[in-house]
Formats: sequence, C-alpha cells, structure tokens
Amino acid sequence: MTQKTLPQRLWRRPTAARGYGGYLAPGLLLCLLFLVVPLAMTIGYSFTTWQGIGDPEWAGLDNYTRLLEDDTFWASFRNIGFIILGMAVVPTLLGLMLAAVLFDHIAKRAPAALVNGLRSGLYLPQVIPVAVTGLMWGWILAPQGAVNDLLEAVGLGGLTQNWLGDRDLALWSVLAVLVWMQLGYPLVLFLAGLQRIDPELYEAADLDGASWFQRFTRITAPLLRPELYVVLVTTTIAGLKVFAQIYVLTGGGPGDATLVPSYFAYQNFFERADVGYGSAISTVMTVMVMAIAAVFLFRQNSDDRGM
Amino acid sequence: MTLTTPEAPAGLPAPTTPGRGRGRSRRAGRADTRLPRARARRPLLFWPVTAAVTAFVLAFVAPFLVIVTNAFKTSADYRNNGPLSWPEEWNWDILADVWERVGFTQKLVNSVQISLGVVLIAVVLALFNAYALGIGRVRWRNAFLVFFLAVNVLPQEGMVYPVYYVFREVGLYDTKLGYTLLIGVVYSAFGTYLLTSVFAGFPRELLEAAALDGASRWTTLWRIVLPMSWPTLSVMCVFFFVWSWNEFLMPLVLLISGENQTVPLGLSVLQGQYSSDPTAMSAAALLGVVPMIAFFLVFQRTLTRGISAGAVK
Amino acid sequence: MTLPRIPTRRSVRAALAAAAATLSLLAASGCGGSGDGGGQTFTIWHYEDPEGALGTAWQAAIEEFERTHPDVTVEFELRTFDQMQQTSGMVLNSDEAPDLMEYNKGNATAGLLSSQGLLTDLTEVAQERGWADMLGENLSTAARYDDSGRMGGDRWYGIPNYGEYVLMYYNQDMFEEYGIEVPTDQASFETALRRFADEGVTPIANAGNDHPAQHWLYLLALTQADQEWVENYQFRGETDFGGPEWTYAAETYREWLDRGYFAEDSVGLVGNDMTESFVAGEHPIMVGGNWWYGGLADDIRDFEWGALPYPGSELAPGSAGNLWVVPARSQQQELAYDFIDITMSPEIQALLGNEGSVPVSVDPADIEDERARDVITGFQSLEENNGLALYADWPIAGYYDTYVAAVQNLMNGARPEDLLDEIAGPYEEFAASLG
Repeated sequence: MTQKTLPQRLWRRPTAARGYGGYLAPGLLLCLLFLVVPLAMTIGYSFTTWQGIGDPEWAGLDNYTRLLEDDTFWASFRNIGFIILGMAVVPTLLGLMLAAVLFDHIAKRAPAALVNGLRSGLYLPQVIPVAVTGLMWGWILAPQGAVNDLLEAVGLGGLTQNWLGDRDLALWSVLAVLVWMQLGYPLVLFLAGLQRIDPELYEAADLDGASWFQRFTRITAPLLRPELYVVLVTTTIAGLKVFAQIYVLTGGGPGDATLVPSYFAYQNFFERADVGYGSAISTVMTVMVMAIAAVFLFRQNSDDRGM
Repeated sequence: MTLTTPEAPAGLPAPTTPGRGRGRSRRAGRADTRLPRARARRPLLFWPVTAAVTAFVLAFVAPFLVIVTNAFKTSADYRNNGPLSWPEEWNWDILADVWERVGFTQKLVNSVQISLGVVLIAVVLALFNAYALGIGRVRWRNAFLVFFLAVNVLPQEGMVYPVYYVFREVGLYDTKLGYTLLIGVVYSAFGTYLLTSVFAGFPRELLEAAALDGASRWTTLWRIVLPMSWPTLSVMCVFFFVWSWNEFLMPLVLLISGENQTVPLGLSVLQGQYSSDPTAMSAAALLGVVPMIAFFLVFQRTLTRGISAGAVK
Repeated sequence: MTLPRIPTRRSVRAALAAAAATLSLLAASGCGGSGDGGGQTFTIWHYEDPEGALGTAWQAAIEEFERTHPDVTVEFELRTFDQMQQTSGMVLNSDEAPDLMEYNKGNATAGLLSSQGLLTDLTEVAQERGWADMLGENLSTAARYDDSGRMGGDRWYGIPNYGEYVLMYYNQDMFEEYGIEVPTDQASFETALRRFADEGVTPIANAGNDHPAQHWLYLLALTQADQEWVENYQFRGETDFGGPEWTYAAETYREWLDRGYFAEDSVGLVGNDMTESFVAGEHPIMVGGNWWYGGLADDIRDFEWGALPYPGSELAPGSAGNLWVVPARSQQQELAYDFIDITMSPEIQALLGNEGSVPVSVDPADIEDERARDVITGFQSLEENNGLALYADWPIAGYYDTYVAAVQNLMNGARPEDLLDEIAGPYEEFAASLG
C-alpha cells in the first residue's frame, strides 16, 4: 500500500488522487456500452430517412431543417416550461417545506406511527404505476368526475370545469397531477439528507430561541444544498423528458395544448414510423438537456468549492 | 458503527457547511431574552400544524381510494353508481379473475427478479463510480459527472431502436437479463450523480484519519464511506426498485414473450383497443400496486430514518 | 444515535443479497430458450378481448385447429394493441416472430410491414384456398397492398374474417318517451336532433379524445359524397378541403355543436366514456363502430335499443376487420393457412355473428339474434353497394393525431375553416409525395 507512506500528500491534492480508476472503470464501460452506443446510433439515424426496418437512406440535414419549421415541435416546447414548474419547481419547494415540518416540528412530539403514515401517504403516488395514475385522474377530472361533483356538493357548482378538455385549463390540470405524482421524490431525498445534520445544531438554535422559520432558512435549507441540487437537476431533466404522464392523461390534447417534445418524438417513432425524424427530435432534446445539466453542474460545483 | 479510526464520531458526520450554518445560527442566538417566549409558543402551534399536514396528506391519498373501491365493484354496480360511489358489496371475484387472466404469478416473479437485479446493479455501480468521483476526486471529475448526467438524458423512446438492434445482435433481445442490465446501467448513472453530490460534503477528516491508519481504498470504502452512506443508499434502493417496477416503454419493447413480461405489461392486456372494463382495470391497478405497498411497508424503516433521527433528543 | 441505523443496513444488505441471487437466476433463465418437445409448435398472437366476439370465436377456432392437428402444440399469446403497434416491426424482424398473428389493417400498420418485407405474400394462397372469392373487391381493399405498402394494391398480405363499420345506435325508450320517430334519412335525423335539443336532452354521445369525433366529421362529409370522391381521397391524393363535401361536414359539425346536439364537455372524453354515457341513458343516439356492439349488448339492461346503418348516408366509415398476417419469418406457414381456413369456415363465421361481430361470409339466416342480424345485413348491403368508405385518417400514417387535435379544437370553439386548414396541411404533403 503506497499511500500509507504518502497519505498527507494524497489527501491534500484531491484532484490528483490515484487508485480510484478501478472503481470507475466498470460503471463507465457499461454506460458506454449501453447508453453511449445507442446515443451515437440515434444521432446517426437523425441524418437519415428510415422506417425502423431495412436500410436507412442518407438525408443529410433534412430532418433538422424540417424540425426548425415544424410548428408542432415548437408548440410542444412551449409547454415544457409548465411541465418543469409542475415536476421540478413546485414539488421541490413544497417537498422542502414538508420535509422540514415533518423533521423539525411534527416528529418531535407526534407518535412515530403518525409520522410514518404521513410520509408513506406522501410517497404513495410515486409507487403507483403511471398508467394507473392516468386512469384514476381521468375519472376524477372528467366532466362528471369527482372534482366537479365535489364542487357541486359544496354549493360551488358555478366553478365546475372541463378540467382536461378545456384548452386553457388542461395544462394546469396536468400540472396539478404532476405535482401530486412528483412530491414524494424530493420529500424522501430531503428527509434522508436531514439525517446528516447534527441534532445539536437544532438544539443550539432552540436554546438560542430561533423560530422554526429561522431554523428552516438558516440550518435546514443550506445544509440540504447537495440534495436540493440533485432534486432540481434530476426533476428538471425528467420534466424535459416527460412522456408517460402526458401519454396517459391527455395524449397531448386537446389540440396540442399539452403536447411535449417526447410525446411528439414518440408519435414519430411509433405511429408514423418516421424513425429518422424522431431521432432528430430526440437528438435536439438531448443536446438541450445536456446544456441545462451542464449549467446546473457548473453552479453546483462552484458552490461545493465555496464551502 | 465499527470504525477503527481514532476520531470517528459515534454518530452523524459533522454538518457539511459549518461556516455558514453555524455562523448564522449564532447570530440568531444573541437574543437570549426571547427564549422563554419562544418556548411557550411552540406547543400551541404544534397541534394545528400537525392537523393541517395530516389533513393535507389525507386529501393527497384520497384519489387512490377510487381505485380501491372500483376494484371491488360489480360491473352493474359501477354502471349504476359511477366510479365514485362506495361499492354496494365487496366483491373479490374480479381480483381473482384478473389474477388468472394475466397469469399474475409469473409476472410477479419476473418483476421481483428484474427489480432486485436492477437495484443490485445500479447501486453497486453507482457506489463505485461515486467513490471514485466524490471521494477520490479523480482527474476530470467534472467531465465524468457531466458524462454520467448526459447519458441519463437521452429520452427513452429515442433509445428504443438502437437498443433493439444492439440487443438482437448480442442475443439479449427478449431476455430478462438484457433488460435488467440496461435499466440497471441507466439508473446507475443517476445514482452516480446523486451519491457524488452527497459525497462532496463527506468529512475529509475521516478519510485522512483512515489513510493515516493505513486503510486501503477498499477498506476505506467498506468501513468508512459505506456505513456513512446508508441513508442515501437505502433511499436509492427504494427509488430504483419502485422505478424499475413501474417501467413501461422499455420492457414493452424488449420483453416480448409472455413468460418474460413484468407486472405492468401483463396488466395492460386488460385494456383492449376498443374495450376497457373499468372494474377490471381497477382490479388490475390494485394488483399492480399491492406488491409495491408491501415492499414499501417492509422498507418503512428506510424512509423513516430521516424523521426518527430528528426525533431523537 | 447509532441504533436506528442497524436495521436499515441489514435490510439493505438483505435486499442486495436477494438481488444477487435473483441476478444469477436471471442469467440462468436468459440462456434457456423455450424448449420444444418432439412435435411441432404453432404460435398465434392476437390482441382481442378473450370475452368479446372475436376472442370467443378465435378461441373456438384454436380448439378446432387442435382437434384437426393433434400432433401440433398451439402456443397462443394474448398481446395488447399498443404493444403490437409499437413493436411489431422489431418482433417480426427477429427470431421471436410468431407463426400467425392478428394485425391492424392500414398503410401505417400492415402496409408498412409488407413494404418492409416482413409479411408473407398471400396472393396465391388466397386464390387457392378460396379466400379471395369470399372477400369481395370492396372488402378486400384493406387486405391488399402495393410495393410501397399502400392499401388497395394488387397483392394480398392479410386475410380478414370479419368486417366493421360505423352505424347508429339508438335508445328506443328515449325516442318513445319524447314521442320522436326513429330517423330514416338525414332530414328526419336532423329533426330528431332538434326535438331532443328542444326538450333539453343532448342527443348525441361523443368522445373528442378518441376516434368517434373524427368519424362524425368524415360521416358528415360522406353524406354529400360518392364512391369516386372516397377513392380520390383515400388513394389518389385528390381532395378539395374547400369543396362542398368537406365544407358541409365542418360547418354542420360547428352548427350542431352550437345547437347543443353534441355535449360540449365531451371534448376530453375517450370512446369508453361515450359508450358509458349511452348505456347510462344520458343520450338517445350514439354513432359508433360495430365493435361496441358486443359490449352494449352485455351492458344495456334498462332500456330497449337498436342498431341500424346511419340513416342519412349511402356511404359509411367501414372496412374489413383486422387481418390475419403470416410473418415472413413464420416457420409454419402451411399451418397458418390451415388456421385461417378454419376461421373462414361456416361454423366459426356463424359464431362470430352470433357473438355480435360482422362475419365476412355468413348467411344471415344463421344468425339467431334479430338485432345482430340487422347489423350484419346493414353491413352486407353497404358492401354490395361499395359503400364502405374506409376511415378518415387512413391516407397518411399518423394522420389520426391530426384529426383528433383538429376536431378537439373545433369542439373548443375553433371555426370550421381552421379545422379544414389543420387537416389539409398533412394531406397536401401526402398528395405532393404521390407526385
């Protein structure tokens, strides 16, 4: 063991650490094989006209020029902002608040069973297969569904809406369902992260008379920064890639009011057998998502250094 | 905790951002005179907040009741009273019927095998990767991180055709092994990113102490890094299990034979092109969710840890 | 503080150990193929509800096949339509291809597979075994494709054994309750709509997020059209979206929406919601495919109802049903032909009819149920008069989505012109591609 003699130097120069390559190799290799090769193939297909079977025909940049002029594609991007709001921003903020309330307020006095129940309940939507979620919310948001029934029952019949059928409302309804589905994920990650925090820190803050909100903004949120980044990055990426949720809830409709790029790609891959064009859409999305991911990572990294 | 390092703390690692966190809380702590009032106010707020959160969670899970009640309704009951009524009587026949129609036992075995396989592959690979990137801080660390994040971003539907051709060539098409490997590797990229981020705040003192003790990289991983990563690792296990259980598009394309298919695929047989029987769909949905809930109960503690740690004084 | 961590670690370890064990199991099962015994195996896939008319009839055909081929083991697998649509090309291009399977007729489905060389050319065997005679010219359109996979070509790539069309279902009790005559032509149909609307009843059940809404548009155009117009639209890339047929269809749709003949909030509904509302007696009229018939017959308990061809039109959306196709990689082509023969036999055809489907070759006298006989004779007269007009979205792969979106927009208040512009866009590209 060589590092035995040179431990100081090794730990002091973290970027030059040796002996870790063996740990990285298998994961890297498998990723190359299973993910990079397909990615390269997809990029290759994007320059062809191809139905998925037989020989692709070289098409140069045709698919990309077509993409630039395709209104449907850009319409699908318009909706992505909303989707990210519903899958990343709102669940992250809400999850952070709830995690802090559960950890630093309720769990201190309430029986453990109640706390378990609350956490399990909030995670439940994550466990339900997306297809089931779609079916369920389809019933609930239908014109004669639960939401409208409930509104009528409490005398607010005037507020009933065609939640998934109305052009202006459908996206908001989808957004609400996405928040519902997504909330458990950040919550659970944050709760796991909170364990790293020294309870004495809270006790000290308590003794100092800090309010709950002060503890939240000054201890909980800053210490959860790694998880916050992870959650924001992964949910934003998931939002950009969102497919199944839209597929089961609205099929992109009414009209193209809730169409998203992945679903548009799916239509080209599987319904129109236009694999070349679908690949071009996928490639453009991949590039965009990578750009966003790189920005996040850069920010995260400079924050890590700042610590 | 079986740490041999001299300075190993008995419990949790020190906070990762001591500078900012502590500094601010000290500043907040100057107002000693406010202490009694703050103490007195909190118990009053406790019950309202708890009640509010409980109500929120109850409303949150209410939609799921729709599935449960409809799974037990007869078709006539559903037709007469709609999807939102309470069942006239609890009818177990539909569940049994759906179980038999989709060959549920086989699908269940497949799903359990595949999900456990995915968890194993993904967690082990992610741990190794993150050890090298987060703890080891190897050269090009950020480039690698971008790489792992990037391979995660290719939309699944875009991967269908390439993966199909690759798998067909190497004989992994329509095999559980091939599918498990693929999903395991996809998730490992996510896990690498998650763990690396968490490791960024790993207390360096511990590692230095281990190195001083002459611990090898392997020993350090198993004796120091791994024990301190259980909370995140166990949450990852839960995520991966649940996600792989619910995957739909990739297994649809890659698992063709009935004997290889997973639970969600098997259950989708109930939804015909033109026909769909809502009570059977509900029963299928319930069957699909029950194994997840069982899993969830078993791993209750995993997810509970975060909260119970806060409760310990 | 250390205590709570221990169970977690154990459970994770246990899970990992279990995972390792299953992984080795997976590896083992990955290598083993399906072991063949001594005899032959014959693999059939279809995606029909096993309880429905087609599922029942085909199950009977499998049993008959097993009886006549005692040395063959039949391996039947029930698929889903979505799965077949998304994966059939890949499956048929691999060793997993079945020996015989059901597949959707159409350019984007069977046509695409045929042009990719994944299906067996059945032209000769269709003549030899007499299938071509049983399926007339009009009906077999959807079974024949040309080199580029376009429907209506001269080579057979699939054999349908049932037909389908869009017809009018009506709630007899509601008509009687309001003293309204069951309509017999377009004028009396509109009169009935108006009178129901005057009574505060929304007459037509519809579903905007599914095929029924676009069937309506096409059906309205068909009321003004002839066979020539249909062929131009379907096969020749020649249609005028500013012409009288389409204009009438779009404007009438708009008018009927405005007058409340369609439920305003049906824009987000799917087909099943539509049938549920008809079964629940909310609307007296539902225009839909005969594929709903079996379900309605099972579900309607509270009122008298009937099923007749749409009264206002000589033409109706309709075609042969889904096809039996023989994959090019099928190992058992002769057995596949034997099986198709069985599905065309009088026994299975009569069974199809009695279960509520429309068999392609049946004597109506063999059908016991009067209402089912009405549906079959309605189909037969359409077929004789070349009245099966296929479906609106057939000319172009993926056109279906365009139609759903365009009609949904109309239902949400768009103008008729907008609707026609939306569907004209992809069609012009298609017409240009035909050169």
